[in-house]
Amino acid sequence: MLRFTVVFCARGVTKRCVSSLAGESAVPPNLLLPTNLVDPSRHRRPAPPPDTALPILRSCDTSLPAHLSPVRTWVQTLMNPSDEPLGLTELHPDVFAVPPRLDILHQVEIWQKNFKRISHAKTKVRSEVRGGGRKPWRQKGSGRARHGSIRSPLWRGGGVSHGPRGPTSYYYMLPMKVRVMGLKVALSSKLAQDYLHIVDSLDIPTPDPQYLTELIKQKHWGQSVLIVDVGEEFPENILKATEELKTVNIIPAMGLNVHSMLKHESLILTLETVRFLEEKLLWHDVRFSPLYPFKLPYSDI
Amino acid sequence: MSVTKKTGGKAFEILQNLPRITLANLRPEPGSKQLRRGRGQHGGNRSGRGHKGERQRGNRPRLGFVGGSTPFYLAIPKYTYNEGHSRRPQYQPLTLKRLQYLIDLGRLDTTQPIDLTQLVNARGVTVQPLKRDYGVQLVDEGSDIFAAKINIEVQRASEGAIAAIERNGGVITTSYYDPISLGILIKPVPFFLRGQPIPRRMLPGEDMVPYYSDAENRGYLADLDKIQQARIALALKYGYALPNISKDELYHMLSMRKDVRQIFFGLAPGWLVNMHEKKILKPTDEKLLKYYNS
Repeated sequence: MLRFTVVFCARGVTKRCVSSLAGESAVPPNLLLPTNLVDPSRHRRPAPPPDTALPILRSCDTSLPAHLSPVRTWVQTLMNPSDEPLGLTELHPDVFAVPPRLDILHQVEIWQKNFKRISHAKTKVRSEVRGGGRKPWRQKGSGRARHGSIRSPLWRGGGVSHGPRGPTSYYYMLPMKVRVMGLKVALSSKLAQDYLHIVDSLDIPTPDPQYLTELIKQKHWGQSVLIVDVGEEFPENILKATEELKTVNIIPAMGLNVHSMLKHESLILTLETVRFLEEKLLWHDVRFSPLYPFKLPYSDI
Repeated sequence: MSVTKKTGGKAFEILQNLPRITLANLRPEPGSKQLRRGRGQHGGNRSGRGHKGERQRGNRPRLGFVGGSTPFYLAIPKYTYNEGHSRRPQYQPLTLKRLQYLIDLGRLDTTQPIDLTQLVNARGVTVQPLKRDYGVQLVDEGSDIFAAKINIEVQRASEGAIAAIERNGGVITTSYYDPISLGILIKPVPFFLRGQPIPRRMLPGEDMVPYYSDAENRGYLADLDKIQQARIALALKYGYALPNISKDELYHMLSMRKDVRQIFFGLAPGWLVNMHEKKILKPTDEKLLKYYNS
């Protein structure tokens, strides 16, 4: 369930502004735009037409069933900032074109946020508060209300009757297949809304962060970018460039998660990462149920 | 071929025109959260506990108490037919229909002897040794459609199932696994990771020895000659021609049988399997060898 109202109002405002400034696409500087508004100068890339001359750099590893067809996207390069794509790649529809289950996305996001949470809030109960063992005054005859201890919850300085008790854990695990589905839905929605970009490799000419920021601006990749690669070693230049930048982050493919994907505007994957993700995420569709944890060796799965 | 289906379909196209999905945009499915606020929390005024008395104060008597007269579970007298019911051995049924299904889907390999390990690996049966399961029993539902030549080892088998398997040129053996050996048999990898040597399989108890020594049941303790005679007799009884296994190309595989004390094919009791270094360690001490070979 996505809210349309704010976005449509702002879109209306920008449309009016654009039409008034004859021919220019500049937005007035004092206009406050909401953060989830699409960048006005960002234009959607059309899907690659079936008769392009560009080569298909990668096709799906597994053979697809007859009723499914692979999704095609452009492959770009980080080396030169020009807009021309290098080629095309085919993506498996069961990973990159699954139905957009936003409720699963929400479930996985909330799980990621909460399962690590341990709240250390703890208050003292009347028995734990210092003092309060003796009856303050005799039961009858003093004229005051009857009390048994000075630390009961009624008293000032007394214990808390129903407060937070000790470190509480909010740990729970969603089923493995739900978490896998969350990843697939996140990847599919990024692709559908044109925030997923495939790159051949992460080589850049300089370790200068300025080069990256200019490249991202030129290609209209958005405010924040998440770069994902497979392998133990990354090229030095990209590591140094992203180290200083706050909104451009690089993670290994094993660290891909729904929260990071939703937080960053654009997602950059290399061809190797696409192969790795397809292999790992499609396995869950065909595997047997576990006899013992999957960490232990299996001979046939 | 036919029209390619777009997984996602219309929802995908709608999504292309909607704002970016962000952390601020996600909402739970309407109706999934049951939130009560304010004084309705925890059930409201009396929190669903009723009014005064043992109900509200949480002091109700134990389960089964009926106010003082003899409760039902004590008034009914015991009888011997239920005695020790929780300790009786149970055998998970495996129909020939399910067996044929597994073979047809390729989950069971008919060129190798079929063991309980293979059945569990194929996820054909679920055996729980801790619930007094002593293995798998072969049931003859589906014997008319069964058509596979296999070497199968189960713990019990009905006569019809034995006939169906032998009619197709297969071999069936019934053997006993004590609970510890059964636990090792169904999950070999966790056992090997424990670092213990493979134990000897125990022999059946007094009451089960007659069953496993009988050639009619194809028991593993019975004589091979008597088994051959029983095969011929069963073929006559059920009216099928008994195929000659010795002239079969897979004769070697069909005649593979485990030793009385052996749990796994190819591994003897006393051996230690090292999964990480992929090595098998065998005992060399005389006393150990004498013990494990006895």
